[in-house]
Amino acid sequence: MFRLLVEPFRDAYMQRALVEIVVLSALAGVVSVYVLLRRLAFVGDALTHTIFPGIAVAFVAGQSLFVGALVAGLLSALLLTAATRIRGIDHDAALGVLVGAFFSLGVVIVSTQSSYTADLTALLFGRILTVDTAEIVETTGIAVGVLVVLGLTHKELVLRAFDPVTAEAMGYRTLLLDLVVNGLVALVVVAGVRAVGTVLVIALLVVPGAIARLVSERIGPMIVVAVGAAGLCGYLGLAASYEASLNHGVRLGSGSTVVVALTLAFVLTAALATLVRRWRRRPAASRPAIAASA
Amino acid sequence: MRVLDQLSSPLIRRALLEAVLVGALCGAVGVHVLLRRLPFFTLALSHATFPGVVLAGILGVSVYLGGAVAALGLVLAVATIGSTRRLEASTATGVALAGAFALGVLLQSAQSSATRNLAGFLVGDILTVNAGDLAMTALFGLVVVVALAAFHKELVLSAFDAIGARAAGYSASRLDVLVLAIVALTVVTSIRAVGTILSVALLVTPALAARQWTTSIGRMMVLGAAFGAVAGVAGIAASAQWDVAGGSAIALAASGLLAVTVAIQQARSLPRRLGFT
Repeated sequence: MFRLLVEPFRDAYMQRALVEIVVLSALAGVVSVYVLLRRLAFVGDALTHTIFPGIAVAFVAGQSLFVGALVAGLLSALLLTAATRIRGIDHDAALGVLVGAFFSLGVVIVSTQSSYTADLTALLFGRILTVDTAEIVETTGIAVGVLVVLGLTHKELVLRAFDPVTAEAMGYRTLLLDLVVNGLVALVVVAGVRAVGTVLVIALLVVPGAIARLVSERIGPMIVVAVGAAGLCGYLGLAASYEASLNHGVRLGSGSTVVVALTLAFVLTAALATLVRRWRRRPAASRPAIAASA
Repeated sequence: MRVLDQLSSPLIRRALLEAVLVGALCGAVGVHVLLRRLPFFTLALSHATFPGVVLAGILGVSVYLGGAVAALGLVLAVATIGSTRRLEASTATGVALAGAFALGVLLQSAQSSATRNLAGFLVGDILTVNAGDLAMTALFGLVVVVALAAFHKELVLSAFDAIGARAAGYSASRLDVLVLAIVALTVVTSIRAVGTILSVALLVTPALAARQWTTSIGRMMVLGAAFGAVAGVAGIAASAQWDVAGGSAIALAASGLLAVTVAIQQARSLPRRLGFT
């Protein structure tokens, strides 16, 4: 057990990967609960794709990828918020169009370069094992900023999620609140995409919140469960991919192993939740005395 | 136009034909995707075909077969997760999407020739389309068009008035499955041309452009197919002209068509909005 869970993290690069995963899990775990409440799974996925042209332009121009992703992320959050407000055009359709236009623009830009395939692959699937200290600092900075904004606007965001009409009537600007949420999701994508790739980012934005929702209906506990589940699966996924790659000769990509761990955790939680609900629904007479009196 | 000079090359001719077929098919099916608000599901479907395509590559079987099996798996997974009631449809779709895509990457990374065909699967590789692919596209397209024509009335009725359709004796769940199967088949068909990620662009954008011109579903489908085909030709021409990725150029051309459409509509309604009429 010790060998499986501790030994992989003796190397500095594995430690850095672990720190990055844990910071991202804390960040994305919290945000995923808001994504769930506001049904923003599609927006999150759209943002992972729309950020691509920014990275592509920065890559071709030789500028900082981080800045490119940041600009494209915030711009697309703005466009997405605006697009979901246009009358006569369905939200989902607007998102689909934006995804197609932005992502293909990115591919067209990158395809003018010779190292096309490798770059695309790195962007989509990340390189978490080569994360350096500067990237961890950037991720941590974004995480702190996002968490502070969420702390300040939590009450308004929850009100907007559950009762938009009342929020509007009370004088809150729902457009501004929507912009805040979409901007925060974009920041999470920017923080994660270079290190862990779009695949892991979208998983971190959706699955922890879904797991938490199966366990609790209250927002506080949901946030705790989501962060815990994301962090634990990140840790186990890294350890599993290390073990498989080094000792069993099966090369498992670290980022995707983490996502598969998250998905498995979701399936297990869903199965357990179903069992518990069935147990509770049984008539009192057929339960053991202790359960009936509880 | 470099594409005109290259017309003698069978490579370009096949790519053009494939682009027109896939564009027209996606444009027509896209109208139903919009009617039933399925764009997110389509995106999930396109991501989920990825593990199937990779697995098919590893096992050496048909890419279409692998994609179709994976798409079927996704439909089942979304239905199962969605039936737990505590999670609504978009979350269920998101979970299934992330899991399926990661599975594809994992399968790919376990392969020794890791990044070999990855970009091709993801963003398409239309210039390498062969006669077999073309025949497959034509066959799938024919099946989809026949299904759409045969069930047109039922599909439109159940999209606009699900309760009315049920009252009229149609099985709503069977029609849902039919639509999902049609969309899945279309996504699988377009893998070779535009890849797993960008098929959503062709399934949404031309249809949305068509919807700005007409309210009749039948005309919208014809117009959507025409827009899709035009985007296909324009994309291949742009790809030949500036040497950029073909599948993405097609998706971008579709976006351009939509932008032009919206601009024209805005200009036409300008006098009315300014109070001239």
